[in-house]
Amino acid sequence: MAVKRHVAAVGPHKGTAPTAASRGRGVGAAIRRWPLAVPYLLGSLLLVIVPLALAAALAFTDYFGFRPPEFTGADNLVRLAGDRAFWDAVGVSAVIAVIVVPLRLFLAVGAALLLARPRGARTAVGRAAAYLPSAIPDAAWALLWLWILNPLYGPLPAVLGALGVADPGFLTTPWGARAGLVLVMALQVGEAFIVALAARAAIPNRLYEAIELEGGSAWFAMTRVTLPLMAPIVLVLAVRDIVVVVQNAFVPAMLVTDGGPANATLTAPLLIYRRAFEYGELGYASTLSVTLLVLTGVAAALPLWLAARLAARQRTRA
Amino acid sequence: MSLRILGAHKVFHARGARVTALGGIDLEARDGELLVIVGPSGSGKSTLLRAVAGLEPLDAGRILIGDRDVTGVPAGRRDVAMVFQEAALFPHLSVAANIGIGERARGSDRRAVEARVRSVAETLAVDHLLGRMPGELSGGERQRVALARVMIRVPAVCLLDEPLASVDAELRLRMRGEIRTVQRSLGVPMVHVTHDQVEAMAMGDRVAVMDAGRVLQCDTPAEVYARPATMAVARIFGPLPMNLLPVDEGTVVGLRPERVRVCLPEAGGRAGSVVEVEPAGEECLVRVKPDDANTDLLARLPWSDAPTVGDRVTVSWRPQDEHHFNATTGERR
Repeated sequence: MAVKRHVAAVGPHKGTAPTAASRGRGVGAAIRRWPLAVPYLLGSLLLVIVPLALAAALAFTDYFGFRPPEFTGADNLVRLAGDRAFWDAVGVSAVIAVIVVPLRLFLAVGAALLLARPRGARTAVGRAAAYLPSAIPDAAWALLWLWILNPLYGPLPAVLGALGVADPGFLTTPWGARAGLVLVMALQVGEAFIVALAARAAIPNRLYEAIELEGGSAWFAMTRVTLPLMAPIVLVLAVRDIVVVVQNAFVPAMLVTDGGPANATLTAPLLIYRRAFEYGELGYASTLSVTLLVLTGVAAALPLWLAARLAARQRTRA
Repeated sequence: MSLRILGAHKVFHARGARVTALGGIDLEARDGELLVIVGPSGSGKSTLLRAVAGLEPLDAGRILIGDRDVTGVPAGRRDVAMVFQEAALFPHLSVAANIGIGERARGSDRRAVEARVRSVAETLAVDHLLGRMPGELSGGERQRVALARVMIRVPAVCLLDEPLASVDAELRLRMRGEIRTVQRSLGVPMVHVTHDQVEAMAMGDRVAVMDAGRVLQCDTPAEVYARPATMAVARIFGPLPMNLLPVDEGTVVGLRPERVRVCLPEAGGRAGSVVEVEPAGEECLVRVKPDDANTDLLARLPWSDAPTVGDRVTVSWRPQDEHHFNATTGERR
């Protein structure tokens, strides 16, 4: 559409020699620029927009995959309102996100601050170690934790037992299983770590020297300089983590705990997956999917709002 | 209280190479004095300032503020304030919060700090900027805020690290005066590091000329200009580098370009030809190649007397304007 507009704008000048500037900014530039965006636009269209539109449409139908979808109006929404299992699963997802997202941010930012100053080999090893969990494929990572957490020969229960800590029952009790899921998801923070490291490196050293000269403590420097200056980026990480933890909790929930015991780790994505592909209710599963998307969007907007308020306060009150 | 630096040594190790940043510095900034340290980049002047601040540990030597030896004392307990190059303002804090951050760091109550911030801001005429963010300030305003941050308390010593480097020429002129005013009102030793010798000459009660990790001369600007201690000082300090003409028996004659006369060929003096003429407002810089020497001579003349390139001229000077240096040691004779 934008291409057409450019053509129309240039049209009246037909016949006159275009100036260098108009040639640079006009059709030529647009024609040169647009192909670069095409792969991305095509990808978004095919992989995000179209499936989303289809899901939104299917959300108001009965569809089992064998016959064409049948429009049922608000039936699915009525069913959704009374669907205890789904709202329980949303609750499980929310509980896990509330624990895991701050934990992940704390680990990523903490590791970035500890490893910010280059101190030779130690820093290199530390940085590699912080990133490594993210380099492992999700499924392999999940299966690894299945072994680490299992009550019979898992190293973690064994170590806890040796230390005299009661076995929380990582795969066998409801809260133990949730704790297990938290562990699986909390340590894969490689990308967030790298981003936080870059954010820390962007803070000029002289700001810290200024604080040092004024007799400010390391704590003062961290809370009044480092964290506020990193806040906008940590915020983006928080939004991203909420999405990742809610939507991608699927792999560990399926492979490590399989939703159990007693549906204690039946997260919303896992429930939707079962609705769609085990019960074959593609229409209703779409209703659930779109609902989860909206809920995630609302949750992700929360840190944005919170940060805007914090920043306004910080500005004047340091 | 005076600031004394005794035998300061500092060597940096960079990729196997040893770089002597400070090769035994002895320097004193007296109470209420503005000492300007001037030198080319890499002369060690910034390292010296950072060592005084406590941001850079010395390999050897001592730093005394009054009678207190602060050599091993952490930066925050030296009672030293510093204006950094580029001001080092906190981009996420308002001007008011920036000025007050030191007081807050030392644990003062917010209410008390607010009142002090206001009074300091009024002194430096930045009170109308208190609610702004550093990103909304001009270069001069930023430096003035940085000065206010220093002035909010009376430190034992005040340090300035090229504070006017990023300020435009007109403002620089005005800021020089403002820094002097701040210095007088604080009444403490102030050490000002710069590579701009015009600034050094204009501002300093005394000037220390540094090169390659050593203080070559430390005296009043007038004295350093009139009697440079070495050839290096003669080239570093002054509005223009001094002409240095090797003559016989290991002596080099130094001549300020301001004191070189350029006349018509028939006048007495050394004959030569003009190779370059550079206008400088009311004056011009003329480079003359004497027939009997390989070294060009730089002369500063009134613009009305400007020759043209290729002109045959004679250059002369009064004998009392000659500076004599030892050709091997570079020292003044």
